[in-house]
Amino acid sequence: MSAGPYNYSYIFKYIIIGDMGVGKSCLLHQFTEKKFMADCPHTIGVEFGTRIIEVSGQKIKLQIWDTAGQERFRAVTRSYYRGAAGALMVYDITRRSTYNHLSSWLTDTRNLTNPSTVIFLIGNKCDLDAQRDVTYEEASKFAEENGLMFVEASAKTGDNVEEAFLETAKKIYQSIQDGRLDLNAAESGVQHKPSQPGRNNLSNDQQGNKDNCAC
Amino acid sequence: MPILTLQRSYKYIMYATKQPSLRIKQADLKCKTGCGFYGNADWDGYCSKCYRNHMEQVRQKKSRQGHSEQSKTQVPGFSKFEEKKRQQTDKKTKYLKSLPVFRKSSSAKDSGRPEKYYDMRQANPDANKLMTEFISSFGKWGETVRKDFSKCVQSFTTKILSELDAKPIEDLAELAQNCYNLYNDRLKNNAVYQAVTSEVRDELLDFFEKYSMVGLYSFLFCPPSTNDEEKDLTIQDRIRKLSWVNAHHLDCCISETSIEVRDLVYTAINDLLGMDSMKAPPGKAYLRGASVVEVLQHCQGGPVSADEFLPALIFVVLKANPARLKSNILYVTRFCNDSRLMQGEAGYYFTNLCCAVSFIENLTAESLNMPEQEFQAYMSGEVTCVSAWESALVACEGMHQLCEHLALLKGLSERTTVVKESSQKLREDMERLKEEINEKVNSVLERTPLIIKPRKSPLPITKENLLLSTFAPPKVSSDAVQQDEEEAADAPAPPQNYYLQNLSMSQINILDSTKNKLQLNITPCLNVPVKAPAAAPQLTDLLSPSPAHENKSMESLTPDDNSYLGLSKVNYDIDFSDISAENSIAEELTPDKRKSPTPSFTTPDPFSPIGTSCNIMQSPLIPSNAPLSTNAEVQQSTKKEDFVLPFLESMSEATEESLLDKVEEAALIALPSPSIKPFAAEYTGFSKQGSKIPSIPCNTGDFSSLNLQQSSLPSSSKDCSD
Repeated sequence: MSAGPYNYSYIFKYIIIGDMGVGKSCLLHQFTEKKFMADCPHTIGVEFGTRIIEVSGQKIKLQIWDTAGQERFRAVTRSYYRGAAGALMVYDITRRSTYNHLSSWLTDTRNLTNPSTVIFLIGNKCDLDAQRDVTYEEASKFAEENGLMFVEASAKTGDNVEEAFLETAKKIYQSIQDGRLDLNAAESGVQHKPSQPGRNNLSNDQQGNKDNCAC
Repeated sequence: MPILTLQRSYKYIMYATKQPSLRIKQADLKCKTGCGFYGNADWDGYCSKCYRNHMEQVRQKKSRQGHSEQSKTQVPGFSKFEEKKRQQTDKKTKYLKSLPVFRKSSSAKDSGRPEKYYDMRQANPDANKLMTEFISSFGKWGETVRKDFSKCVQSFTTKILSELDAKPIEDLAELAQNCYNLYNDRLKNNAVYQAVTSEVRDELLDFFEKYSMVGLYSFLFCPPSTNDEEKDLTIQDRIRKLSWVNAHHLDCCISETSIEVRDLVYTAINDLLGMDSMKAPPGKAYLRGASVVEVLQHCQGGPVSADEFLPALIFVVLKANPARLKSNILYVTRFCNDSRLMQGEAGYYFTNLCCAVSFIENLTAESLNMPEQEFQAYMSGEVTCVSAWESALVACEGMHQLCEHLALLKGLSERTTVVKESSQKLREDMERLKEEINEKVNSVLERTPLIIKPRKSPLPITKENLLLSTFAPPKVSSDAVQQDEEEAADAPAPPQNYYLQNLSMSQINILDSTKNKLQLNITPCLNVPVKAPAAAPQLTDLLSPSPAHENKSMESLTPDDNSYLGLSKVNYDIDFSDISAENSIAEELTPDKRKSPTPSFTTPDPFSPIGTSCNIMQSPLIPSNAPLSTNAEVQQSTKKEDFVLPFLESMSEATEESLLDKVEEAALIALPSPSIKPFAAEYTGFSKQGSKIPSIPCNTGDFSSLNLQQSSLPSSSKDCSD
């Protein structure tokens, strides 16, 4: 099997949004630091903000853009949203204000991304349960109302970080399979590499491995 | 179609000049016409579609009114420039059209223009360079790939060029995007590229974009039909006005006062400025955001988040104020492959740059968290550097640097003075050391002066000598001067007790504190060998035997002068005159030999005083010199060895010193014996020497000098003692 940086079938673009200091960068760091897979040479891991995961036997390169969360940049950071297949919306469970801003973030995301973009709500810093300011139930209800996926995670301990990224990828992949997501549209946030040699082999070989991140 | 329009609107949203506020109202983003799509300030608040319609109407109106109208709306100074530029373009076109070369095909209405472009593109050195690059990297995929590539580039560029004047730049951009997609499809599906791997396909697509855009750069970058240049000037002016903004205002963690950080910021600024020199959109897009990241990493350590990156980038852009910033960004957004702009590191940094620029364009008091009045005061220049000393430091960067350099120079000068001082000290130390050594040497010399004393001779010789000394005087006198005779006559009395004589004499010498002279004595001795080389072979031979004599002398010394003099004293045994002056020298040099066979027979001592009591000796000797020399001559003439001559001469020349004279005399005496040579060979060991030595002197004939000296010495000693 050919190894190397092109050894994936799709590229998904994610963005991480949320107020300043909710731990966006830490989540990204936590996720991408584990990008070194046993069967991948280290050199590919160096690539900026990326990690290759596997969904349903397909290798998918996740490319994650961190965004500036400051209020003052809200108006100008819209170009981040271009072509994002997934949006991770993060709030801090110990700071209610970050939760309160979620609706505005959601509005922006909805407005600036295409309808098939998967939005995932993450309540970060769940390791600081003692200082909790936002209950799980409350956030869960909010997610449900808005049709978001939701999980409480901790960038510090790594709890649920993988899951958040992987679930999003699964959902995106699902919508590709369903045909809801047009691969040919530049703004879809998904790039397909259909002529990838060895792709079929890959999917055949690792059919049983589905939903497992290889790391 | 819905996706397409959506796509377009997103693209335009990128440049929305909406003022930053806590919340964006939906209505603010929408198209003015209320069509439901998002609008953009660049499009006068329309969405892309509505704007195009709007522009179409305007254009039609304008074409009716004439072209000149267009420039009237622009800034007067700039419009002039614009006009000039357009005139130049027209002139060029006309000129080129008039050239016969470009008249080949007159069928098409505007054929002159594409041909001109074509020709210019061919002449583009960059294109040629790129072609070589292409061949080097993709040549292995075969000629067909290259041909197809060239064909596609050709068709793409001609297509763009043909539409260049007819369509607005936005349509050209769309055309370009379509071409990229077409070529991408071609790469995937065309048989020509069947063998090519997917990696290379991506590279080919990138290269396609690069190649064609480098060729078209001059037409598509900041085209005269747009107001890109105006925008450049506007943003530049804006940034200039915002020069007072510092990292503190932006809540940016860059510490402006740190030297390292500032260097890194400068690197980042350079990278940003370098963007303008790139021609291909990917090259331009590849803003080296890494340098900004580096700055931040230096400032805070650990992973860099976008929360810090964007402010830092804004800061860098503000400080860099790059030329043609807007033109560059527009060029990239229009003609860079869309998919690239949304992905990868380059895309991310470029997106951030767009955000930064748009933030700067829309900067308000609110976005800097400061009161409106203060902001206005800053902007109007009423207040300058009101903020902390930090900004002052930034403003007075030059001053700051100057101070740094001064401090550096100060440190350097301090260090040089230290070096100077230490070198001075070293020199002093060296001088002191020199003095010390000199002193020590002097003191040592004073303490242990070299006294050359005559040594006693082995038994047989001494006996002879004794005999000689006792009886010689008459001979000498008979040979030479009367004075000598007189002295010699005096001498005979003491001979019986030579030991005592020696002792007394040496003591006297020391008491006389004639040590200096003793030292001096050495010099003549040394001189001798210098001159001796003439007789070199023999001398060397002679030297070896000499030690024997020395030993004796030393021994003779030790009993005599132990209390005063060290081993260095050497007594000249002139009695052994046969051995010549050289021997004596050798003795000095190697005074170890103590095993004289006949320590008791230190008869020749009469000479020991010679060294020390020079003064005393001189007076009587002086007169004797003449006869001595005559003696020498006599000796030479009469007998013995030629090699002696030089010594004799030298010695005779140096008549000032009694010692010398004596030495000479000794030499004179010693020289003669031709039998020395064989003896020299025999002198293998000192122990042996003792026994053999006696035989050496026997042959020498001139005892007169010896007698003289001997006689003189005792006399002097007597004088002294008296």
